Amino acid sequence: MLEQILCIDDDPITLMLSKKVIARSGFSDEIITAQNGEEALSYFNTLKYSKEQPVKKPQLIFLDLNMPVMGGWEFLDHFTLSDYDEFNSINVIVLSSTINPEDLAKAKKYPIILDFLSKPITLQMIEYLKNKIEL
Amino acid sequence: MKSKRKQITLIYIVISLFMAILCHKFLVYYALKTELFYYSFVKDIFFILFTGVIFNYILSKNESRNVSILKKMQFTNEEIKESNEKYDIVSKATSDTIWDWRIQEDYITWNRGIENVFGYKQQDVGMTSKWWFDKIHPEDSIRMSVKLYSFIEQKTEKWQDQYRFRCADGTYKYVLDRGFLLKDENGKAVRMIGAIQDISKQKAEEQRLKLLETVITQSKDSILITEANSIDGKIPRIVYVNPAFSKMSGYESDEILGQSPNVFKGPNSDSEALKKVLKAIREEKECLIETISYSKDKKEYWVRFSMIPIFNSEGVLSHWISIQQDITEEKKLETEKEHLIRELTQNNKDLKQFSYITSHNLRAPLSNLMGLLNLIEDISIENPELEEILSGFYKSTNLLNETINDLVKVIIIKDNPSIQKEMVTLSEVFENVFGQLSFQIEIHKPIIKLKLDKVPLLNTNKAYIESILLNLLTNSIKYKSENRKLKISITAEQIDQRVFLTFTDNGIGIDLERNADKVFGLYQRFHNYPDSKGLGLYLVKSQVETMGGTISVESEVNKGTSFIITFKN
Repeated sequence: MLEQILCIDDDPITLMLSKKVIARSGFSDEIITAQNGEEALSYFNTLKYSKEQPVKKPQLIFLDLNMPVMGGWEFLDHFTLSDYDEFNSINVIVLSSTINPEDLAKAKKYPIILDFLSKPITLQMIEYLKNKIEL
Repeated sequence: MKSKRKQITLIYIVISLFMAILCHKFLVYYALKTELFYYSFVKDIFFILFTGVIFNYILSKNESRNVSILKKMQFTNEEIKESNEKYDIVSKATSDTIWDWRIQEDYITWNRGIENVFGYKQQDVGMTSKWWFDKIHPEDSIRMSVKLYSFIEQKTEKWQDQYRFRCADGTYKYVLDRGFLLKDENGKAVRMIGAIQDISKQKAEEQRLKLLETVITQSKDSILITEANSIDGKIPRIVYVNPAFSKMSGYESDEILGQSPNVFKGPNSDSEALKKVLKAIREEKECLIETISYSKDKKEYWVRFSMIPIFNSEGVLSHWISIQQDITEEKKLETEKEHLIRELTQNNKDLKQFSYITSHNLRAPLSNLMGLLNLIEDISIENPELEEILSGFYKSTNLLNETINDLVKVIIIKDNPSIQKEMVTLSEVFENVFGQLSFQIEIHKPIIKLKLDKVPLLNTNKAYIESILLNLLTNSIKYKSENRKLKISITAEQIDQRVFLTFTDNGIGIDLERNADKVFGLYQRFHNYPDSKGLGLYLVKSQVETMGGTISVESEVNKGTSFIITFKN
């Protein structure tokens, strides 16, 4: 079981669904959410400059691509910079409704992306991920 | 001759002497005084002898003059004979047909040419000028005879004309006839001698050249001919331009001859292209360029300009031929086309983006619905009405999900015009497909005949060919006849570079008379089956076409359906 998972999505229903499915599968202790890339980055910033070190940090990120303010790709572009060195060992799972082949091709260029999965999140999907990250 | 002269002199003397003696005797007999008669007789005899000598002298003078005249005549005679012989030889040796016309008598003789060239046997040749004129082509006859008679009237010495002369076999030959007049002492034309030359070949060649020339003069393309070598590093000087060129460039022929085609250059001309031309000229190779050219009044036009080197029989460059086409309109169309393509590409790209966004926005809430319904599955529901409602909810959501997923498939196929191909083994593909359908095959147990040995390997996209066959097989099973056992036969054949996959079943068929143009259409259904969406064949066709193939259908209601798929292999 993971300690913490971060879900980044602008859709509250998706976030609610993710929380419920992850909770039910017992994949993680804690689920935190962000509404877009910027919110997620500011979360990592607070972690980075937090006084209580070491802090608990997410071990897996579920990332949506199409979000207002800052989308998934822009988030990844910032997140993979050296500013977030201490975090970029975290695996990212893209969870999206996109069918654009360009997105799929783009995903292959980011080594940080562990997998590209299609919504909705399901229990089977979690089982598959558990196997993939060997929990 | 000498003796004759003497003889005449002697006869004169004898007769004169006889007369003198007779007169003397007569006088002696009748006259009274006879003493002087003997003197007179002697005097007569002397006189006679003297005149005889003089007579002899005159005769001899005359004779010697006659001899010299005779000699002269003999010499002239020899000359005439020789000249006649020469004439005979020449008339035999020449390929010309020689005629000799005595005008007053209207009597013509011909040499052997009339037989050799025109095929008339000696006995068929007429002796009058009428025979000659009859053989002249009706179109030439009047003109020729007017010219000929006016020549005879004017009595100039030479005459020549071209006309068509009919041969013995009825065909006509172009001839050149040249003649001269012989006049008598009063200047009257008495005889005319002429030579007919067969110029059919020259005439044919002339006509051929004239025809070829019309290609240049009538051509819509501009043609110009230049000298072989340039003197000042420019394109060599122009020696000929055709009318089309004058029309295109505005330069009349005499204004442009002697100039270099460099004068058509202007500020917007392609100097690289011009360099290419000059290089080709140095290397004596042909070249083709497109550039902006300038007319006489400095108007711009696009021209496609070729230079072709012309070599003489010794292989030495003699001229350049340049063919030029005004392609202004073509260029304009090309620009318009490019613009249109750019616009269409942009539109297409926009539409594609639109379809991705739309499908994303549809899929996002739908996936939430699916996810939420999945969660409900594990929650026990006490209220039977709620359970029924939720079950309806679930079914509708699933159907919506399937439809949207199908549409997404279509969008993705349509967006992949150049998909990756690999060599696949057909039998393996079928194994996979049958594997996916094992449940249905188990239920219906169709008789499936496969004949794939002729095309073991196919260069195609594996996922697509599987999807195509899966769809067709599912259709065959779905639309099988209830009255007979389902039979499916699949054969693969290769003809040249093309592979034909024929897929035949004995199912309920499609009424093609009514639906021929709808079979492969989107959302076209021909049977009211609950799980038919009208998408399968649309997908099949899209996938076949994406891989560069074609698909056709043959079907008869209640007999069965055949699909023939053709791929390049």
